[in-house]
Amino acid sequence: MAATSTKTPEWVTQLEYPPLAKGKGSGIRDPAGFAGAPGNSKKSGKDSKIQPRQPPTPEETDKLKLKKAWEVALAPVKSLPMTGIMMYMSGNSLQIFSIMMVFMAFKNPLMGLMNTNQAFEKFHSESNAAQMLQVKFVYVVCQLVALGVGLWKINNMGLLPTTRSDWLMWEAQRESVDHAITAL
Amino acid sequence: MRGLSNSLLLLGLSSLAAAVFKDEVGDVDFHHALFGVPQPETTFFHRPRKDDKASLLYTLGDVGVFGAVNPSNGAVVWRHQISSNTTDGGGHLRAPEDEDWVAAAYGHSVHAWSAMTGRNVWHAEFAGQVKDLEIMEMTETSRKDVLTLFQEDGVTVLRRLHGTLGTIVWEFREHNKDIPLQVSTNIANIYVVSLHGSPSSYNLKITSLDTATGARVNDWAVGTKGDVHGPKDVMFVGANSAAPILAWADSSLSKLNIHVLGSKGKQEFPLASDTIDVAVHAPHKIQSQPHFLVHMKSAAGNRAEVHHINLKNGQISKAYELAHLKAQCAFSTSSEGANVYFTRTCEDEVTITSSESPAILSRWLPKKAHDLKPVHAVSEVIRKPGGEEFAVRSAAVTSDEDWVMVRNGEKDWSRPEGLSGAVAAVWVDIPEAEDLAKVLEQEAHTNPVSAYIHRVNRHINDLRRFPAWLQSIPSRLKDSILGGGAGPKETGLRRDSFGFNKIIVLVTRRGRVYGLDTGNSGKILWATQVFPQATDHALDVKGIVAQDGSQVIVTVSGSRGEAVQVDALTGELLSAVPPQGSVSVSSTAIVEGPVGPYLLQLSPDGKPIGPLSAATAPKNTIVIRSGDDMLKGFKLVADEDKVTQQEIWQLQVMPTQRIVQVATRAPHDPVASIGRVLGDRRVSYKYLNPNTVVVAIFDDAVSALSVQVVDTVSGQILTSQRFDGVDGGKDISCAIAENFHVCSFFGQHKLNDGTNRLVKGYQIVSTDLYESPTPNDRGPLGDAANFSSLEPVDTPSGPPLPWAVSQGWVISQPIRTLTVTQTRQGIANRQILGFMPESHGIVGLPRVVIDPRRPVGRDPTPAEMEAEGLAKYAAALEIDPRTIISHERDVVGVEGIVATPAIVESTSLVVAYGIDIFGTRVAPSGVFDILGKGFNKTTLILTVVSLFGGVMFLAPMVRRKQINRRWEVPT
Repeated sequence: MAATSTKTPEWVTQLEYPPLAKGKGSGIRDPAGFAGAPGNSKKSGKDSKIQPRQPPTPEETDKLKLKKAWEVALAPVKSLPMTGIMMYMSGNSLQIFSIMMVFMAFKNPLMGLMNTNQAFEKFHSESNAAQMLQVKFVYVVCQLVALGVGLWKINNMGLLPTTRSDWLMWEAQRESVDHAITAL
Repeated sequence: MRGLSNSLLLLGLSSLAAAVFKDEVGDVDFHHALFGVPQPETTFFHRPRKDDKASLLYTLGDVGVFGAVNPSNGAVVWRHQISSNTTDGGGHLRAPEDEDWVAAAYGHSVHAWSAMTGRNVWHAEFAGQVKDLEIMEMTETSRKDVLTLFQEDGVTVLRRLHGTLGTIVWEFREHNKDIPLQVSTNIANIYVVSLHGSPSSYNLKITSLDTATGARVNDWAVGTKGDVHGPKDVMFVGANSAAPILAWADSSLSKLNIHVLGSKGKQEFPLASDTIDVAVHAPHKIQSQPHFLVHMKSAAGNRAEVHHINLKNGQISKAYELAHLKAQCAFSTSSEGANVYFTRTCEDEVTITSSESPAILSRWLPKKAHDLKPVHAVSEVIRKPGGEEFAVRSAAVTSDEDWVMVRNGEKDWSRPEGLSGAVAAVWVDIPEAEDLAKVLEQEAHTNPVSAYIHRVNRHINDLRRFPAWLQSIPSRLKDSILGGGAGPKETGLRRDSFGFNKIIVLVTRRGRVYGLDTGNSGKILWATQVFPQATDHALDVKGIVAQDGSQVIVTVSGSRGEAVQVDALTGELLSAVPPQGSVSVSSTAIVEGPVGPYLLQLSPDGKPIGPLSAATAPKNTIVIRSGDDMLKGFKLVADEDKVTQQEIWQLQVMPTQRIVQVATRAPHDPVASIGRVLGDRRVSYKYLNPNTVVVAIFDDAVSALSVQVVDTVSGQILTSQRFDGVDGGKDISCAIAENFHVCSFFGQHKLNDGTNRLVKGYQIVSTDLYESPTPNDRGPLGDAANFSSLEPVDTPSGPPLPWAVSQGWVISQPIRTLTVTQTRQGIANRQILGFMPESHGIVGLPRVVIDPRRPVGRDPTPAEMEAEGLAKYAAALEIDPRTIISHERDVVGVEGIVATPAIVESTSLVVAYGIDIFGTRVAPSGVFDILGKGFNKTTLILTVVSLFGGVMFLAPMVRRKQINRRWEVPT
């Protein structure tokens, strides 16, 4: 037993460790010694092109990061007019379109809120922590606004249990304590 | 344009209540089209076409429906009601020889109808009451005329009416106090027979008239020596024969007196000593020989004598005698040319004799299984072309109140005419052999250990049925796939999973109880005679109730204290209390007893009839109607073995007013939702008080109808509506359910457009009751869990009053006997069922059509349409033919409609009873919980199978591909 397990046939090894799925259909083997970081290859290429320029100072980097962060923070609000128009156009009836739209209108802000820190992780630095907090706050408010639009939509669709009729089935019928028999 | 949009809206709404589809006819509904029990003097064979040998069978039944029946299969050819109401027998129907019309008369009217199609030929109304109708076969012209005998106040009027036009040819009037009895003709004269004298002893007075002018020719009296005390004692007046006769027996039935019209004096014949009843049968045709048969019934059997009349001197001579036969027999006459045949239809033999000789021309022996018990019959004897052979068909009324066609001794068809004239009905569930619900309930009440043992035992017992169940799987599978449910249904009485199979128990006014299976096209399961009634007396049923259990017992209570218990499955008589002379039951209360509901009989003053102990006395308030003008609520208080009445309230109407109808709720009136969701998603809370009735009070002085909702616990009038210009002579009908009530009547309405115009017409008014005028408000009681009608809340003296919303519509025809459909949980919409006496149909008006919240003068908002299904109000309510649940069936004389829920929520079972019996299933919100006929099981199964096959085929391919990919040589 032990002998067989230690000395597995080659085909078993091949079956258990198949060759890596090829990312690109080029079919060209990577050269020997290639580390394999396809995602970074382009960026590193760009950076290498910018390399000759003057490297930005940390202040400039912070400024740039802040600018980028503001863009990210305001992104949910920028898409709101479009969403609003589409919601208005799709009507208040329960259809596949409006249902999907409402689903997205809830999913996006909620996911955004949950991933607030991840969204700003790359802009974060030691020096702009205080400003970043501001930006995050605005981001959260914007996501809440987007959520509010979603709420407004489902309210329009009559899906929010805000009226008396939504709670009607939990109201009990008033029973009469006395009973009469009719003999007419 | 507006009208168009309105009608479109209505069309859209009415699609909620789908029409009856063609393939559902006969499947979901059934109809017994009846005539009533045929009366001997108005039943005959007649050839509707001169040059056609084929004849139809005509009859006028005892509920006032006449028409033609196809003698070969018993199908109705045509049918009409002789009066707008159900009659208590009587009426006249005659057919002239070789003419294509029949004449009928009842009350004030005389009419002629096409014999073939039943179309009206002419119609005439006169003053007075019609007493007799006769055809004048021999006139001075080629046509045949109609003679009608009327009684106006102390005036005997005989009119000769033109046979094809109905105009008066001449009129004979005689002012005297005589009682006109009959009219008869022979070749020479017309004879009017009347009773002359005092009720203690009438003499027969015969007036002969000239046929052409109606002038009096002669009159004479025939002494009866006190044997005749009323029109009924004169047994027979042969009409239209060559020698019409008058016959009456003396009080001891020892001799029969016969007077031949046109001759003087009377002749006497002795009757057999054991005779209990006598009948005389003679041909009605002028060319027939003047022979007649005297039928003498004895207690054990019957015999007959045949007599001949000498036309020259009017002498009667006995020709021969038909021997006594110990069986129930009916005699009937048939003539062919001059020959007269007498047919004797008995339980076990049918014989034909000629009037000439006692030789039996033909004899048949009916099977015992036919169970013929003929009471009276009409027959048609045909001599076959060979000359020696005869064929006979007799339509006999049996003592089971069936109308049976006997053709040459074989039962051809049978019509259940005794089912007509139903006066009360109750729905009965078919009991299950083992009612699981009850067993579970029983288990719930015992302690857990014994309940567990009981359950294990029950399951072990159930295992015995397991092999049989396993065996039944293949056949059931086959049935469900191939048959699609339409295969041969299991016969016999059984419950079905939808709850469509129920028994409707009907009580007729003749005192017979019937059980019909609604799952099996209304087949009659059983019929039991429980209260035999005199011919002119109708049973007055005051209460009927069904008691569920392992044996379903139906209790029926009559107005004279009679009560009977019948097993609803078999019709077996369990107990019977005969009518008691001194007792008068004015109403009955259905009281929940320890073993189920029972009937408590109440005398007119509200005293319970029969023993009632302190323990069994109902504790609740009992509401009775005292006379025409008062409603009363009282309690039965028991103190030491004595039950006394304690009156709680009275509702006395004004002196000129009378209570026309009191509509009560059905015992099963579930409420699915306590509020009504409005278009803006607010809630109007329904006023749901189970102790309410609708009282329709008519004021004769000012012709006003007042519709009041009365609380039956406190007697408080909750709402009151007044309608002016109502016709009290026409039907006023109301129904109440849930939080609404509906009334239908003939009234007038003043237009409020400033012109003060009055619109008269049939109206239907619908009223909803809500707890408060403002939505989202539960009224003064708020969220209280219970309420008492006796405890005021909002003001120190007043109970919380409902907020009523009402709308009325003008309808094109009367609708009466309003009823509301019932479903199991009350989730499905309700339909208001009513009978339309003018179009002979039953309509099911959807609630949304007569919804009092329909917006007036504006179109409904989309939200209102979506939430409440409201359409714009239009004053005229056109009855959509698709809402007529009886579709093309001609349902006449409906006196009541009963509805009951099925097991499935969507469907309500409905039976309309009266002259006809019509039953159907209605689904007010559509059949949403049953697969329709369009559902194709075969396609479904084929799809599943083919998908499975596809998967089975593709699976190896996919697997191979996956393996190949793994083994693929990396390039």
